[in-house]
Amino acid sequence: MSKILEANPNTEVLEGARSSFSIKKILYNKYVLYVISICLFLIVLDLFAVLQVFGNFMPRPIEVLTTLINMTVTPLAGKTLPMHLWASLRRVLIAFAIAVFIGVPVGVLMGFSSVANAIISPIFHLFKPMPPIAWISLAILWLGIGEASKVFIIVIGAIVPCILNSYNGIRLVDESLKDALRMLGGNRRQEIIEVIFPASFPAIFAGLQISLSMAWTTVLAAELVGAREGMGFIIVMGMNLSKPSMIIAGMIVIALTAFMISMAVNYLERWVCPWKTELETTE
Amino acid sequence: MQACIQKEPKVTVNNLTKRFGNLLVLDNINFHVGNGEFLCIVGPTGCGKTTFLNLLSKLIPPTKGNICIDNVEADPKKHNISFVFQEPSCLPFRTVKENIAYGMQVKKFPKQLMEERLQKTMELVGLTDCADLYPSQISSSMEQRVAIARAFAVNPDLLLMDEPYGQLDVKLRYYLEDELIRIWEEFKTTVIFVTHNIEEAVYLAERILVLSNKPTTIKAEVKVDLPRPRKFTDPKFIEIRKHVTELIKWW
Repeated sequence: MSKILEANPNTEVLEGARSSFSIKKILYNKYVLYVISICLFLIVLDLFAVLQVFGNFMPRPIEVLTTLINMTVTPLAGKTLPMHLWASLRRVLIAFAIAVFIGVPVGVLMGFSSVANAIISPIFHLFKPMPPIAWISLAILWLGIGEASKVFIIVIGAIVPCILNSYNGIRLVDESLKDALRMLGGNRRQEIIEVIFPASFPAIFAGLQISLSMAWTTVLAAELVGAREGMGFIIVMGMNLSKPSMIIAGMIVIALTAFMISMAVNYLERWVCPWKTELETTE
Repeated sequence: MQACIQKEPKVTVNNLTKRFGNLLVLDNINFHVGNGEFLCIVGPTGCGKTTFLNLLSKLIPPTKGNICIDNVEADPKKHNISFVFQEPSCLPFRTVKENIAYGMQVKKFPKQLMEERLQKTMELVGLTDCADLYPSQISSSMEQRVAIARAFAVNPDLLLMDEPYGQLDVKLRYYLEDELIRIWEEFKTTVIFVTHNIEEAVYLAERILVLSNKPTTIKAEVKVDLPRPRKFTDPKFIEIRKHVTELIKWW
């Protein structure tokens, strides 16, 4: 900041601003701007609602908040909001675990063995572009309307990034790292365990991150069809009951959950791959 | 041609030839490297310097001829050959200290010896302060120093260096060259250093091999017996440098 000030012809004016309390300084504060941005957005929303731009189906932000609190306390279809959230989360976690346990080993195998890659990749590339939602009807026909069909759809969505990133992670390990080990007289086992696995770990981990957010997106789609609990169910109920505030409240909870999941995964990554972290600047 | 070696030969290269299909890259190369000698190899661009090193390191097999270390056919499993690549090749998931120790771990050095050599090398390359940093947290010249430290730490029979300072600016290179000589004098390692920089070769080497254009042969051998530390402005230094430059000219 000081460098910019030195180059500025109006140094004296700004010099004063730096030391004393001023409106300009407050206005340039990042957090103040955050608050302004959110308030403006809410005001615009409120205007839309009050002016009835979308007819009757635009709730005021304050109504959404009331609905949110209401749903947390009073059960909807026998379950409160946290219970619905947990229903969705449980599906995501089960499906994610299955996707990782199948996807990562398959991807790793494809990365190591060109034979395995040649056998698996045509099938994989055939299925990869199909959106998981396209499987809903089949899943219901095969597995019924219960949990299994929903988990199945989420697995379909979540397994793709697991396979893809594990495959590329293993395949794209820098050759010079392998050469360095080979020069030191290391054997193939050491190359795999001490070089290839740790070097590909960040890529695989990134795959898990994408996979988890895919799973969270897919669970809602799965729940839009014939679910009796979960966040998707809340949104369907909001539509059926003509309660847009319920839909928006559901959307907010979904977004917040996605945000918290990605935060948690980021922390996890910092813990598992400490070498990816930058040095904290002391300035 | 090898008459002027005083040190006992450590590495012997006999009739080394390499073909890629019809392209003859190396043609019948013979030379010795003395025990603890610092040998520089210079040559015009594209003369197959890297191929040459890859053959010496046994990363690729020769078409004909062989390389012997202590009169035994060279074998990375048996012999201790170290390589410093053009690009720094530190393991990104190991700290500076773990990277330097890694070669010794692969070679199964006893724990105490490893700790000793680790401390000594880190001091020599001045990396003790960043022992616990990861390669992504240090500059690329420091990364290259880590790779060099790792290569020296295993006490190699033969250390191959492929233009390790090619990417660095001149000032830093001078500094690192001095550092390299210091480490080499301390560890008495046999070094083959490939470079296209003639000044660097004259500054570092005890002996310089000048390669010809493809198909590559050894065109000349220049002995550099200037006292250390050498000076770039020393008339003798300049004389040798001019001589090597003449030899290398292909135009």
